[in-house]
Order: sequence, then structure tokens, then C-alpha cells
Amino acid sequence: MSTQVHPDISEQQVRTISETEDEPEWLLETRLDALAALDELEMPEVIRTPGRTWTNLTDLDYETLVDPETQAEEKEWVDAEGAAVLPIHEAVEQHPELVEERFGSVVDPQRNYLTALSTALFTTGTVIHVPEGTAAEDVKIRTTMNSRSLFNYTLVVAEESAEVTILERQSTGEAVDGHRYYSATVEVVAGNNASVQYGSLQNLSEETYNYQVKRGHAADDASVEFIDGNIGSRLSKSSVETRLLGEGSESRIVGAFFGHDEQHFDIASRVWHENEHTTADLVTRGVLDDEARSVYEGVQDVGSAAWDTSSYQRENTLMLSDESEADASPKLIINNHDTEASHSATVGQVDDEELFYMTSRGLDPERATDMLVEGFFVPVLEEVAVDELREDLEDLVAERLRN
Amino acid sequence: MSSDQDHLQETDTEARFEFKKEEKSAFETEKGLTEETVRLISEDKDEPEWMLERRLRALEQYQEMPMPTDWPGQPDLSEVDIDEIVPYIRPDIETRGGAEEWEDLPEEIQDTFDKLGIPEAEKNALSGVGAQYESEIVYQNMQERWEEKGVVFCDMDRAVQEHEDLVREHFMTTCVPPSDNKFAALHGAVWSGGSFVYVPEDTTVEMPVQAYFRMNSEGMGQFEHTLIIAEEGSEVHYIEGCSAPKYSAFNLHSGGVEVFVGENAHVQYSTVQNWSKNTYNLNTKRAICEADGTMEWVSGSMGSKATMLYPSTVLKGPAATDNHITIAFAGEGQNIDTGAKVYHNAPDTKSTIESKSISKDGGRTNYRGLVHIADGAEDSKTNVECDALMFDNESTSDTMPYMEIQENEVDVAHEATVGKIGDEDVFYLQSRGLDDDDAKQMIVAGFIEPITEELPIEYAVELNRLIELEMEGSLG
Repeated sequence: MSTQVHPDISEQQVRTISETEDEPEWLLETRLDALAALDELEMPEVIRTPGRTWTNLTDLDYETLVDPETQAEEKEWVDAEGAAVLPIHEAVEQHPELVEERFGSVVDPQRNYLTALSTALFTTGTVIHVPEGTAAEDVKIRTTMNSRSLFNYTLVVAEESAEVTILERQSTGEAVDGHRYYSATVEVVAGNNASVQYGSLQNLSEETYNYQVKRGHAADDASVEFIDGNIGSRLSKSSVETRLLGEGSESRIVGAFFGHDEQHFDIASRVWHENEHTTADLVTRGVLDDEARSVYEGVQDVGSAAWDTSSYQRENTLMLSDESEADASPKLIINNHDTEASHSATVGQVDDEELFYMTSRGLDPERATDMLVEGFFVPVLEEVAVDELREDLEDLVAERLRN
Repeated sequence: MSSDQDHLQETDTEARFEFKKEEKSAFETEKGLTEETVRLISEDKDEPEWMLERRLRALEQYQEMPMPTDWPGQPDLSEVDIDEIVPYIRPDIETRGGAEEWEDLPEEIQDTFDKLGIPEAEKNALSGVGAQYESEIVYQNMQERWEEKGVVFCDMDRAVQEHEDLVREHFMTTCVPPSDNKFAALHGAVWSGGSFVYVPEDTTVEMPVQAYFRMNSEGMGQFEHTLIIAEEGSEVHYIEGCSAPKYSAFNLHSGGVEVFVGENAHVQYSTVQNWSKNTYNLNTKRAICEADGTMEWVSGSMGSKATMLYPSTVLKGPAATDNHITIAFAGEGQNIDTGAKVYHNAPDTKSTIESKSISKDGGRTNYRGLVHIADGAEDSKTNVECDALMFDNESTSDTMPYMEIQENEVDVAHEATVGKIGDEDVFYLQSRGLDDDDAKQMIVAGFIEPITEELPIEYAVELNRLIELEMEGSLG
């Protein structure tokens, strides 16, 4: 029940968004249904332990954060050979059947209050379509947010045996007084034997509240890989998820975050093994400085039909400051015994011995610590196939260390 | 020691737990829970006014609190209707507070504990024994040499009368207040029986003390309270055993355990729980550990229909240590949701949690645990290891740890694995002449060995026997 923070959105505003883009009826209906559902929908789930709520979403003032009518952004697309990369509204015109069929097929448009809000209000987005048997060039999308609030939508469809790598970056442009709100929904459909790597690098301004859901469906022998880098925002709640629906499908979810000041990152990696011979690997590394706080949830869910499953999860957090907090909950839900599953999580500080070793070689302690932090990210950076994403992430880490 | 082992192996373990006795009681309350019931219990026990007040306050809290229903994956408690439970049954015995000779007990109660092997164990390996039948301790005895040193081991009801100041200070105040959870509140309202253990400064009780809890009546609730106070530099090992015959109606066990570990003291609390498979086992167990103290929880959860139990330790003083060893075995129709909680509230505190769970024939085990390291608890260290073994595709094995780390100078590690019984291991053992069942039993015994080796030999043997029983007939 979201009686607490009902943004003042009218049906007319939603109709205006839809009419401006000359949307087909089904999309308008989807938006209006989502709007109507807001009263009934719950906020996204957050972890609670006795006496504590790990992320508080209910106190946010959505009334002032969300302004449906002034959404503004700049978007850059780099054309990629082999892939159709279209703004969402062009895609709706040019591939009406594809979009209607796939829209909302992976992420429930009414998954929770914030997703439904996004469904009702999104004004921008991208559809990437890779035809059967095509290995596309890398797709790069850069979104710069220039308004109080922005709602973004991405759909990736890789047909049978298609291959594509996508890099989507979010940052903030023009300054706005006070807080802002960014919300994104990403749906990935990987057909039989298709391979999708979707990388996201979030570097929004530190006045921005950020809610994102990224989810993929993997068909037989398909591979869905997510890379989720979080550097910016005041508060981020980001869920990255794969359903391994097809036999022999696999997923890798790689996360990296670096929080400072009062940043709060609530990051989840979840995978559902729903068929035979599936493999998953979840790897997240994060660094916390100042009063930053991280919340991590990892879920490996093995269904009873998932014979011969392999599922692994690792999460490591490095704390640079006594004022920071790292919370973690790596979960295993296993319903088939023909499974090899493990997870591990660690929290710690910079290793004294390593630091001592480096300072004894003449490095000053600050520089040595920086190098150890950079080194800490190496295992996740190595997972990143796109050079540009890896370099961006390295630069942002280096920049944060300098500040 | 070998003679005890033989004795236990010769006994038919299954028969020892499954038999039931005709229900015979001196006094029992009506089903359900009202202020009237609570007053009756307190009156029947001739309690001081402050205890009645505590009970009534707990009752209020119970009535205000909602049932826990929103924990991810938690056991279904919808069947637990307190209005269907008889919360208090005083068995028909003459000596309140427990006889000191087994012979003084009514024959059927004596026979019950004989079959459970308690008097035999007392002779051989224990410093003291308490035995609870329904809501009351019926037998309590401790070797004189401990009494002379000022060690107290008596039933909780007697402690309220004879050690009033200690009980008043420690009973459901700072350790497990009734507000902790709905079943702690229920417990606070209707508790009866249980043990009180007091170990004076620098005293080591070398052999364990044991309490055995038995529910015999259908549809009853058992709410025993155990309070252990170990003063500075003392050492004690407390063992708890539980069982009940199976009836068609459900039984409820909602015990409360509070342990105060003084500076540099050492307390081990071991439980082998074998409640019948119609019992809801919803307990609250917690220890507060002062500087340099050590708390050890060793738990084997074999029985019950549903268990929700997370023994907790608050590491309050610097350099305090906690060790949790827990094993859960869930067979058909069982949901064993258990784990550990540790709060590191001081510097240099250490905890280790080792959990082993086995699920088969549609049973579910879940490790649910919380490690909290508070700001300022620098140089704390925690290590959690959870291993699960699954027998078949109908069973479920979950792992749900939670870590809250508010201090950076720490060393936190959590690891979990889930796997099936290895075909190769079974094949290897079969090729050495073992049949399939024996091979699997041997693998399970090896899997839980790190835990059984922490138990006194009698209990290790007992646990292995119970597991063998669980596995018999349903394999292959």
C-alpha cells in the first residue's frame, strides 16, 4: 500500500506522454493499467532483520522527486553493424509486433510500485534487435539526464544464435536544485544459443535517487551476462536478474560499486535455474569509504526441474572507513539435489601486510592504499569484455580515489 | 565409556522415543490462553507477586504482537492455534520441584525416563540431572560435591522461591525480554518448569549437567525456562534433551533459555532435539557474554514438524568468543528452520558458526543466521560455514545468512555449499562391500562428524542412532 508517498500524477499526464509519441493503443493501456495499479502495489522488497530495515524507500518524497512533464535528456547512440538500435518510439513504429510481443515479457510492468511508476511515465528508451545468426558490433548508449526525473526503458532481443554486447551509461547533465529521481527498466531476451552481454555504468549525480531493474531470459544454450557498475547517485536500488529457462543456458552477473560520503547502494544479483544443465556465476566487489553504506543480496534459486546445476556466488566488500557499513545476504534456495552450489562473502579492510609491504618499498601509505583498492577491483574488471566499459570504470575508480 | 555406548546401542532407540503413556495429571488448565489461565498457573505455583506481574505483562505483549508470517521461506505456522493448546499440565506427583530419587516417582514416569536412558546416563557421565514431565520438573538431583561448592542446579519454579533475587534480576529482563518475539511473549506468560543453574566464581563443573524434557499428553504446550548464570572464571556444560510421542493433534514447544556468561567464564549448551513430528518447536535461546568469556552452542535438530530456532549470543565484553555448531536433519513433512545469531558489540570479539544440514524425502532445512558487528567492535572476527547435503529431488535446502558490518577493522567470512550425496562415494563404499544404505549412512556420519565430535560420547552415539533411524527403510 503506497498511501505514504503518492506522487500527484494524473491520467491526463500519462495520456499526454503517450499521445505526444503517437503510441499504439496497447502501450497506452499498459501505461494506464500501471498507473491504476499504483494504489495497490507495494514498494520494492527490502531486507529486514530484527529491528533494522536495510534500505528505507518509504521516506522518500516522490511527490517532489517525480515530475512527469519535464523529463529531459540527451541520448547518444553509436550505430552498430548487425544490430538494429532504435529509440523506443521509432521501434514501436518500425517493429510494432516485436515490441508489443516482448514489452513486459521479462520484467512485469507492475512488478512493484516503482516499476509501475516507470511503466506509466517512461518517455525515452532503446530497442536493440539482433537478427538470427548475426554477430553484431558493440552497441553503446549514453543517457544524460537533464531534468528532475527521468524514466528510461531498454529492450534487447537477440534472436537464435545472435551475439551482441551492449554498453549503457547513465549520468547527469544540467543541474537541478534539490533531489532528483532516475528509474530504468531493462529487459533482455536471449533466444536459443544467443549470447548477450549487457553492461551498465551508472554515474548519476549524488542528489539522484536511482531505481533500476535489469532482467534477462535465457533460452536453450543461451548466455546472458550482466555487468552492473554503480559509482554515482545518492541512493541506488538495483536488481540484476537472470532466469535460466533453457536447457544448457548460462548467466554471469558481475557487480562493482564504490561508495563514498553518504551514498547508499542496495544491490541484488539473482538467478533462477529452471532447466537442466544450467550454470550461473555471480561476482560482486564493492568498496566503501566515508559514511557510505552497501546492501547486497545474492540469490541462487535452483528449481526442482534443474538437474545438473552449477551455481556459484562470490561477494567481497572492502571498507576504507570506520563510519561505513556493509550488509550482505547471499542466499541459496535449492530444490534439486543434483546441484553443485556454493557462495561466499567477505567483508574486510585493506590488508595490513600488503600495505606494509608496499610502504616498505617506498610508497606513501595513501598511494599504496589507492593501489590496493584498484587491485581489489581487478577480478571484476577482468570479466568486462568491452574495453570502453572497463576503462570507464577504472577511470571513475581512480577519480574517486583522488577526491 | 564403552559400556555406555553398548548400552545405548543395544536399546531400541525408536521404541525409546515413540512409546506413550496414559495421560494422568494432578492439575491442568483449560485449552487456550486467557488472563485467568495465567493467574491459575501462577497461583498453582504459589509465585511471588512480581512474577505474576511479569506473566501478565508478557501476556499483553503476546496479544499485541502479530504472528511471524513474513520471513522469507519460513515454516507455515497457520496450524498453531494457541486456543487449541493446553498450556499447563502438572503431573500427578507428590514432591513439587522434583524428587531426588527415581524410585520416588510414579511408576509410569519412572518407566518413561528409564526407557529414555536418563538414570543410566546419570550414573555414568553427569554431574546432575533434571527431568521434566509435561509442565513440571519431576526429578532433580546433583552430586553432593558440586552442591558443596555452591553450585545450584534446581528446577526453575523452586529457583523463583529459593533464589528470588537472582531470578528477579535475570529472568526475562535483559537477555530475552518477552517483547523479543511473539513466542517469547507467550513463553513469558505461561512458562513452567525448566532448570536454574548457578555456578559460583572460579568453579569448574567438570561433568555436564543435563535436563530432559518430555511431553506425554496430546495437544499440550511445553514452555520450560532455563536460566544459567556462570560467574567470573567458572565453567559448565549443560545438556538438554527433548522428546514426545506422536499424536494426531499438534503439540507446541516454546522454551526460553537465558545464559549469562561472566568474565572469563565458559558455558557450553548442547541440545539434542527429537520432538515428535507433530510438534512445533519455536524457541528463544540467548546468551550474554562478558569480557573474555566463551559461549558454545551445540544443537542437533532431528525431530519436530517445524522448528524455528536461532540461538543467539551477544558478545558484550572485549575478547568474548562465541562458537555455534548446529546440525539439522529434515525428513518427510519436516521443516527445520534454524541457525545462529551473533552480535559483536565489543572489540576483539570472535565468532565461528558451523552448520550442517541434511534434507531428504521432501523435508526442508534452512540455515538462517545473522552476524552483526557494531561500530567500535574493532578487530572482531567471524567465520560462518554452512554445508548442506541433499538426498533427493523432493527435498529443499535453503541458506539465508545476513551480515551487518558497521566496523571496518574486521575479518568477516561466510561460505556455504550445497551438494548431493556423491555417487562416486557411494560406489566406492559399495565396492568395499557395504550395501547402499550402509554406504549412505557412513557418508552422512562423516558429513556430521565435525559436530558429533564436540558432543559427549553418549550424545554423539545417540545422534548417530537417530540419523540411522531417519535413514532406515527409505533409501535405495
